[in-house]
Amino acid sequence: MGTRTWLALVAALLVLLPGCTEPDFPRDPEGTLLRAMGGELRVGVSENPPHTEVADDGSVSGEEVEIIQGWADSIGAEVAWSDGAESVLMERLKLGELDIVIGGLASDSPWTTHAALTRPYAEVNGPDGKPSKLVIAVLMGENALQSSLERFLISEGLEP
Amino acid sequence: MSGHTTLPEHERELLHKAVRLQWVSLFVMALVVTSVGLVAGQSQAMRTAFAEDALALLPPIVFLVGVWRTGKSRDPDHPYGHHRAIGAGHLVAAVTLLVLGASLVWNGASGLVKGEHPPIGVFSFAGVTVWAGWLMIVVMAIVMVPPMILGRLKMKLARPLHDKVLSADADMNKADWTTGAATIAGVTGIGFGLWWADSVAAILVSLSILWDGWKNIREAVRDLLDARASEIDSAEPHPLVDKLRDEADRTDWVDRATVRVRDMGHVFHSEVMVVPRRGVDPTVDQVEELRRRCQELDWKTDDTVVVVMHHLPKELVPPDQSSTSGTNT
Repeated sequence: MGTRTWLALVAALLVLLPGCTEPDFPRDPEGTLLRAMGGELRVGVSENPPHTEVADDGSVSGEEVEIIQGWADSIGAEVAWSDGAESVLMERLKLGELDIVIGGLASDSPWTTHAALTRPYAEVNGPDGKPSKLVIAVLMGENALQSSLERFLISEGLEP
Repeated sequence: MSGHTTLPEHERELLHKAVRLQWVSLFVMALVVTSVGLVAGQSQAMRTAFAEDALALLPPIVFLVGVWRTGKSRDPDHPYGHHRAIGAGHLVAAVTLLVLGASLVWNGASGLVKGEHPPIGVFSFAGVTVWAGWLMIVVMAIVMVPPMILGRLKMKLARPLHDKVLSADADMNKADWTTGAATIAGVTGIGFGLWWADSVAAILVSLSILWDGWKNIREAVRDLLDARASEIDSAEPHPLVDKLRDEADRTDWVDRATVRVRDMGHVFHSEVMVVPRRGVDPTVDQVEELRRRCQELDWKTDDTVVVVMHHLPKELVPPDQSSTSGTNT
């Protein structure tokens, strides 16, 4: 294939770029976003105030809970919350029993083996006093789901 | 000195061209590696791509070091000159290719076995938000162009220069742009929800890279073991091998002749062994005259010696000639 053909291809891609969005492109291998739209979004909450709080009766609150609720509303999803320890929730996320896990996760957390971490939505000072970027864990490789959430974060102005 | 280590005018020009090409190559590939490193971010897969791209810097470096080394003339400490630097560089470039191919196969296969679903989110710049996969595709399509062009130019120079480092480097450039094409196909596949697309595409192109690496290693080792000189990408005898023997055979005082020619890198080191006709005792001038004719055959045969003997070493006579040499002894 000639160089010129490639340049034409690049130009074509640049024109096509903005035309495609989730859930059609990128598409989820497991179709999670399509299932959640007008259906159920399974979210795990690990307590980490003020990002996430779990009351004695199991009801959840906090900044990240509000973010997820806002996003779920925007895609017409009903959120099914479940709380637990971070490591347990991450294991369940890896197994595909959850779609999202929140709990004030840092962008440099080691959970990249279990989950896809979103782009950072805020920056806070971590326990060591150094700045740390906050992210949300998404079911690995569900790129439409992840892109939809990230698009929501950007549209809400949630950027560090 | 007719130049035992320097090249003739035309070849020297080609070599200058190749050196310039390799500096451009180093600069462009460094730029590519840096830009891939910048978009790589935290992703392990992209970091691997970054490391693999960095491997492509090695062949141009060994080429430039090799050319610098071969530019030195021969001396009592280095009686064969420094041309073997090309052979050593060829081995380095060949191993680099094999490592690249092996790394691609390994990453692709382990991704498939573990069922890794590569995550790709969105990219936002100046108020525009697009899927980051698009960005990867565009970056790959752009960075594919330089190795495509450079590889072709290098291949064109490699044959007339008889430079196997250059040809291995051209293979490396081919590996670069085919991996880029595989990434484009893979990321597009991921966009369509096919999580395995990237791994499968990587494995497919890595097979041809592994083959190129293996082929080059075999050839480099052959040359380092002083196997009979051959053309680039071939195990057949180099045409000059036959031409040298013909030159000796055409001499009126020569009864039988055989040659051994080894590839020093760029140039050959050739020994022409001749048995004079019965009753003829060639003079030094006659031997020198034959040597000069052999040298003038080609710039690669500059370093040629003629040895006069009673019997040709049996192992060095090709089977098709052994019958005639047998009857005459």
